Amino acid sequence: MAMLSDTHARPRDRLSCARLLHPVLAAVLVVACVASLEVGATDVTLSSVLGKLAQGKLPDGIERVVLFDIRLPRLVLGVLVGAALAVSGAAMQGLFRNPLADPGIVGVGAGAGLGAILAIVLGGVLPASLTALTGNHLVPFAAFLGGWGSTILLYRVATRHGRTSVATMLLAGIALGALAGALSGVLVYIADDRQLRDLTFWGLGSLAGASWAKVVAAGPMIVIAVGVAATLGRGLNGLALGEATAAHIGIDVQRMKALAILAVAAATGAAVAVSGGIGFIGIVVPHLLRLASGPDHRALLVNAALLGATLLVLADLLARVVIAPAELPIGIVTAVLGAPVFLWILLKRRGLVEL
Amino acid sequence: MTLIAEDIRVVHGRHEALSGVSLHAAAGEVTAIVGPNGSGKSTLLGAMTASLPYRGRVILNGSDIATAKAWELAAQRAVLPQTSRLAFPFSVIEVVRLGLQAGTAGDRPDVPIRALERVGLAHHADRRFQELSGGEAQRVMLARVLAQVWEPVEDGQPRWLLLDEPVSSLDIAHQLQVMDIARSFARTGGGVIAVMHDLNLTALYADRLAVLSKGQCLSFGRTADVLTDKILSRAYGCSLRVSTPPPAGDPYILPHAASP
Repeated sequence: MAMLSDTHARPRDRLSCARLLHPVLAAVLVVACVASLEVGATDVTLSSVLGKLAQGKLPDGIERVVLFDIRLPRLVLGVLVGAALAVSGAAMQGLFRNPLADPGIVGVGAGAGLGAILAIVLGGVLPASLTALTGNHLVPFAAFLGGWGSTILLYRVATRHGRTSVATMLLAGIALGALAGALSGVLVYIADDRQLRDLTFWGLGSLAGASWAKVVAAGPMIVIAVGVAATLGRGLNGLALGEATAAHIGIDVQRMKALAILAVAAATGAAVAVSGGIGFIGIVVPHLLRLASGPDHRALLVNAALLGATLLVLADLLARVVIAPAELPIGIVTAVLGAPVFLWILLKRRGLVEL
Repeated sequence: MTLIAEDIRVVHGRHEALSGVSLHAAAGEVTAIVGPNGSGKSTLLGAMTASLPYRGRVILNGSDIATAKAWELAAQRAVLPQTSRLAFPFSVIEVVRLGLQAGTAGDRPDVPIRALERVGLAHHADRRFQELSGGEAQRVMLARVLAQVWEPVEDGQPRWLLLDEPVSSLDIAHQLQVMDIARSFARTGGGVIAVMHDLNLTALYADRLAVLSKGQCLSFGRTADVLTDKILSRAYGCSLRVSTPPPAGDPYILPHAASP
């Protein structure tokens, strides 16, 4: 029987290739991170500070502030948010069995945004003991709840008998987005000046407000969500065959779906809470990776985290340099780069969205 | 060892799709389920694979499937659905490997390509599943199912193939190929349950036969005993005649001889 296989060329092993991408993408991410620390509105650079340290001198106050209090938290936040957006996109696409499902597009981002706005505006009304307990985590947690609620609602509306109707999904997403937008509008009315500034800033989608406090607020949730999502590879692969078949090949479908929804909501919620609506990372990154190394989720989810982080760090770099010393909101950069890719996917797979 | 369905009842909305059907399939045999459209064939298979809610009991190799974990069932039986739509651009070999990761042959990387050879599609291993014709896709899914239960008997326990209309979109040569695969799986100790549409293929390959009609089992027994004018005519609601070709002695049913 061993001879049998010799009569055919060995089939390609895209999974191994995709796994080889892990170290490659990790290296690219490191390069992007270094570049991000080098460049900025002032002429402080990572290399000059490292050079000083090598000569036994300590960096001066400005250098410390620029590197450690401004650029580094912004970089860490960019890595976290980029990974969160890309992984939640990949996981949601696997869950909905559709390459067009993206938390930003189908209204989960809007739901998370509503949660965040609620927390920002009503946060002041909460009893002091509760705010002390939740601290910085209140906004990300509220965004998570908003994202969770909208994901479950969306799944209920768009999926019947394990099949997702793309048209229903997108239309439900529009409805959800409109509803969240309307409620957010009401909240903006009752917000005070400081909250209003928070909201405007946040709504543009930006990493400019990055601080260590935000890293601490969103970091744990994102790390846990990405970690959980990364374990769902086998289950999401099975789900590609449909819910019934996934169960037949031994996957606990209900548990897997619940975990995927939680992970998507937590990652999206935390990312939206600290950076606003940064779009298209969740749809572009998984799509590029599927083209490059196949759709196997066991490698895709990890690669998505790495590539998502890299792209967001680079987009942020771009946002900081194109009109320096001012900067663009990063949501503009990702939309300009991402929207054409999204249209291109639609063009190639028009059959998918036929009503 | 056996796969037993006891008094299965399934309700779709207000319509009772199955009203108390029992079936007793033995390893080493091909058991076919036939019946007219809407008689509950696929529903019965759905209940026996725990794909839909049912009342009654299904006993697989001696234990009730209602209390078994998905992975425990996956190690004992594989299910071929009637149609398969794949969400992402997996290649053919990757689809077959999905079956491997479910079964117990996980440490045997040659199984997927051999399963593809079995269905005659090894040369398409690197093609995209979504580009295949309906018949090719159905055979790839059969290869996936075979990879899941590659050894028909393991640890003295038979393993099961549950096939929902496995030849529905195949040409005649591949119909025979697929039924041969099913029969040889049974002859080497495994169990096969197949929902069938084609009565002649059923007559050729089934050892045992259940005839469903309107959610009830009209008759269950050895194929030759069940394939009679009376039972078939009652099940399908038109007068059918079972004939026997001269040389081999297997019965066949000619639509020519039917009268309304």
